[in-house]
Amino acid sequence: MRNCEALIIGGSAGSLEVLLKVLPALDTDLAFPVLIVIHRKNGADSLLPELLSGRTRLTVKEAEEKELLLPGVIYIAPSDYHVLVEMDHTLSLDYSEKINYSRPAIDASFQTAAEVYQDRLACILLSGSNADGVDGLKYVKDWGGMAVIQNPDNAQVAYMPNQAKSQVKIDHILNAEDMAEFINLLSQSKRYGTA
Amino acid sequence: MAPLKKVFIFDDNTDILELCTIILEDAGYEIKTSSTSNDIISQVNAYIPDLIFMDNWLPDVGGIDATKALKGDDVLKHIPVIYFSANNDVASLAEQAGADGYLSKPFDIADLEEIVSRHLA
Repeated sequence: MRNCEALIIGGSAGSLEVLLKVLPALDTDLAFPVLIVIHRKNGADSLLPELLSGRTRLTVKEAEEKELLLPGVIYIAPSDYHVLVEMDHTLSLDYSEKINYSRPAIDASFQTAAEVYQDRLACILLSGSNADGVDGLKYVKDWGGMAVIQNPDNAQVAYMPNQAKSQVKIDHILNAEDMAEFINLLSQSKRYGTA
Repeated sequence: MAPLKKVFIFDDNTDILELCTIILEDAGYEIKTSSTSNDIISQVNAYIPDLIFMDNWLPDVGGIDATKALKGDDVLKHIPVIYFSANNDVASLAEQAGADGYLSKPFDIADLEEIVSRHLA
């Protein structure tokens, strides 16, 4: 891929513990926006962004309608909305049918971002117990982007990354402990034009 | 070192359980969680927490009956119960249940930490 201009991280059951490892170790001058799409239920709305915000010096916020994606900002998909990436690099919140029994659906974000960022998009699929994100990763690959999964042996719930591994040509398989360093290298490659 | 104060959280929303566990463990408490009120007396007897959070929509008997059961038990009735719910009438639900306090959902981290420290001071 060319220089990464956007990163999307998707996950479900068991992915929060990965994010709690990754976020504190991210460079504070991250060269691209990060969108996090984690399956979650209503009722804990403000807690997740607030919790993650306390683990990094990067700005963490819940994604809002028509919001422009900015480098160095971490956007969290709100519960009960798909987060779509538009051609002008803004986000839109979508309340249409659940996909893979999920809203937000990882597939919706991966697929819309794939068309927008093409070979400048990296997507990481973490631990989870359904197959959401797998079709999205295929789409990312079709458009020239980078597909990364958490090592299923390292995931609390292996099903989701295992499904991706069996159905998609994965570029990198990473343990949670190595993910922040990988993201930082993507950022440094963009910053210094070494990719 | 003094043993950690123990909090038992009952909620069918596993996101709430996971997030509250991380937040309160960070704040220095020991946490146990459950998604059911089934056999509530046995569950609480097996842990003997210092504080209980009770969700309104808790399967199987619901938060109100579960709290009433705890408050009717001679051994467990002294343990404070914080009722939490997204219902507008959480205060009256808490009163109906005989709870010792309430927390409206959604709440933020400061709200959660404040009510725990107030009851466990």
